[in-house]
Amino acid sequence: MTQNYFELFNLPEKFQIDSVKLQENYRSIQKEIHPDRFATSTENEKVQSMIKSTQVNDAYQTLKSPTKRAKYILSLHRSVEKITLPPDFLMQQMEWEEHLEDIEKKIKELDQFKLTINKKYEEYSLMLSTQIDNDQNWNEAAITIDKLYFVEKLLHKINIALN
Amino acid sequence: MALLQISEPGKSTMPHEHRRVIGIDLGTTNSLVASVISGSPAILIQDDKSNLLPSVVYYSKNTVQVGNEARDHQSNDAENTISSVKRLIGKTIDDVNQVNFPLNLSDGDGVINIKTSNGMKNPIEVSAEILKMLRTVAENNLGGELMGAVVTVPAYFDDAQRQATKDACQLAGLNILRLINEPTAAAVAYGLDKKSMGQFVVFDLGGGTFDVSILNLSKGLFEVLATHGDANLGGDDFDQAIVNFLNNKYKLNIKDIEVQSMISILAREIKESLSNKKEVEILKEINGKEIKETFTQQQFKALVNDLIEQTLKATKNALNDAKLSTDQIDGVIMVGGSTRMPCIQEAVGNLFKQDLLNDLNPDEVVALGAAIQANILAGNGQEDILLLDVTPLSLGIETMGSIVERIIPRNTTLPIAMAQEFTTYKDGQTAMIIHVVQGERDLVDDCRSLAKFTLKKIPPMVAGAAKIKVTFQVDTDGLLSVSAEETTTNEKASIEVKPSYGLSEDNIKTMLQSSYDLAEEDKISRALAETKVEANQLIELTQKALDADKDLLSDSELTSIKNDLKDLINVLNSSNNDKIKEATKQLNTKSEPFAAKRMDRSIQKALTGKSINKLEF
Repeated sequence: MTQNYFELFNLPEKFQIDSVKLQENYRSIQKEIHPDRFATSTENEKVQSMIKSTQVNDAYQTLKSPTKRAKYILSLHRSVEKITLPPDFLMQQMEWEEHLEDIEKKIKELDQFKLTINKKYEEYSLMLSTQIDNDQNWNEAAITIDKLYFVEKLLHKINIALN
Repeated sequence: MALLQISEPGKSTMPHEHRRVIGIDLGTTNSLVASVISGSPAILIQDDKSNLLPSVVYYSKNTVQVGNEARDHQSNDAENTISSVKRLIGKTIDDVNQVNFPLNLSDGDGVINIKTSNGMKNPIEVSAEILKMLRTVAENNLGGELMGAVVTVPAYFDDAQRQATKDACQLAGLNILRLINEPTAAAVAYGLDKKSMGQFVVFDLGGGTFDVSILNLSKGLFEVLATHGDANLGGDDFDQAIVNFLNNKYKLNIKDIEVQSMISILAREIKESLSNKKEVEILKEINGKEIKETFTQQQFKALVNDLIEQTLKATKNALNDAKLSTDQIDGVIMVGGSTRMPCIQEAVGNLFKQDLLNDLNPDEVVALGAAIQANILAGNGQEDILLLDVTPLSLGIETMGSIVERIIPRNTTLPIAMAQEFTTYKDGQTAMIIHVVQGERDLVDDCRSLAKFTLKKIPPMVAGAAKIKVTFQVDTDGLLSVSAEETTTNEKASIEVKPSYGLSEDNIKTMLQSSYDLAEEDKISRALAETKVEANQLIELTQKALDADKDLLSDSELTSIKNDLKDLINVLNSSNNDKIKEATKQLNTKSEPFAAKRMDRSIQKALTGKSINKLEF
């Protein structure tokens, strides 16, 4: 696909995104091109609608998720390199993981932990919007993305433990 | 088959013909067929005036019976009476607990074989018998040949189960418009009824499967946010809990197929009675032992508490995946006969702290929704609705150490294609085995193995230098195809496979042909008629497309398409099947870039009035 995902959904290329508009435009497009609209059409239209609909889904998934969106913006500006996270964050990761294991069955502590991690999530998101939208500091942003990704997965684990 | 009406292309002023299409709910216990008649969906009634067809097939030496007739043999000839075949479809013998089936099951090279007086049968063939019966019911009701069908499957069905269901439809001579998920179908039936908007949960407990889907409904768009479930949990298991209780208490001989069948029937009666009575008294003799028991709802609830908990846990997991909490849910739709159990109603009601939506008949709602969707796909309906469904389970491949590398995560909106790069781990390696698995666990052995194939002719390189791009594609039926190619060299090693499970395309074709038993001449004229219908449709639609959007084409492109169009029109009146096919294919291929451009224009149109700056796709 040649086109930029932001252009596809008619949005400015920013990390801070109008998610309502993204969703609205995604839906409007799928209503026109989804394979269900071409169920009795010619073979070539069926094929093309399948291809476009797939691409639009992929683009939407990418822009909807903050980590994927940030990675996508970076990929437009900088070649992909392996990131090494700073040692203090690696230590922090281990502490969080251990803490989760310790409190796995304790609802109250889990709720508390969730609040803490949610705050971290907000913090990194904010940091990313500064690094990407204002400073265009791709190298710093790359590190923050990995941190955000870790925190996102941790939140998911906490939620599973809470169930 | 109706005579062809061939009209001058572009001048077709025929009002759009109403196409005969149906929705089928192929259930574990009962199956139904529905169609939209005069604008509203209705269950099509069988000769005996019943709406539910028991999903039971009876094989005797020379005959096959389906439905109530078949079920009558359950107590006297259990071995030849196949019920709950949905629990066997798309599975191997290792996947099932044979104790739960009063049948002679064995391994049949990838599928399960069932020994009957009528020979070996596999679950695809048995399901096809049920589908054939439904097709007949529909044709009798609607007065003619069907254009197509939407068939529902549990949302939590894996790729093998979906493919096997599709194969069964083909075997039954049904043209599949789409496989859709049962909870989504139910939501469609409810959504149209109530013009609902917001976040909805569909809790679907059938005879043998459990699904829970979270959907966002807005302006005719049904967007599935997450789905969870258990393809091996249903009303049958609630029966089994009673069976186990009776066995433990009365020491009955369950190894005997007849005894096993009798207790199963008794257990189901007890369960069903408890759906509208507080308690039920049993006095029955089985295998020379007198069974005397009083069951209360409370006792029953205690027996099945673990099962109820399993459904609640899956529901919470689905909410978690959808990033929603119970208080953000605007409505809970109850689907499937098993949701009639008061203990289920109570448990789900408590979880969401709201009244449940169960005013549509839980047995019928899935078939009704499927009929609505069939009507839309056929272009009959005026309703402006679109379903966006998701993959229920993650898809990935096996990597070093039997670890699964996920390529498509669960709950990804369909259709989708995702790719991942892998490399060789030995110097000079020229082949790579690609093992495709489905499931949420990290180890290959804990997931469902879907296919194994080998990418050959990789140019020899040092370890880690080759780049093998593996692409997974899941279509709108939820069916997977996989391709792999080596991308560093021009000599492309590539392979594309669609997992198949025991039955190949050829197998099905042979079975189909033998079942039709048409004379050779009939086959030829039938094939020609079908080719002409397709060609005629292509001519009409191409003409329409040119009328609307020919400005997208350069002069030479336009001339080229017009020439192919003329060629096709010229051969259409001949009786040369091959020539018509060839010309159809030619025009189809030539029009592909045109179709792509028209699709781009549709995207632009979708966003007009929303300040377009720059849109190319």
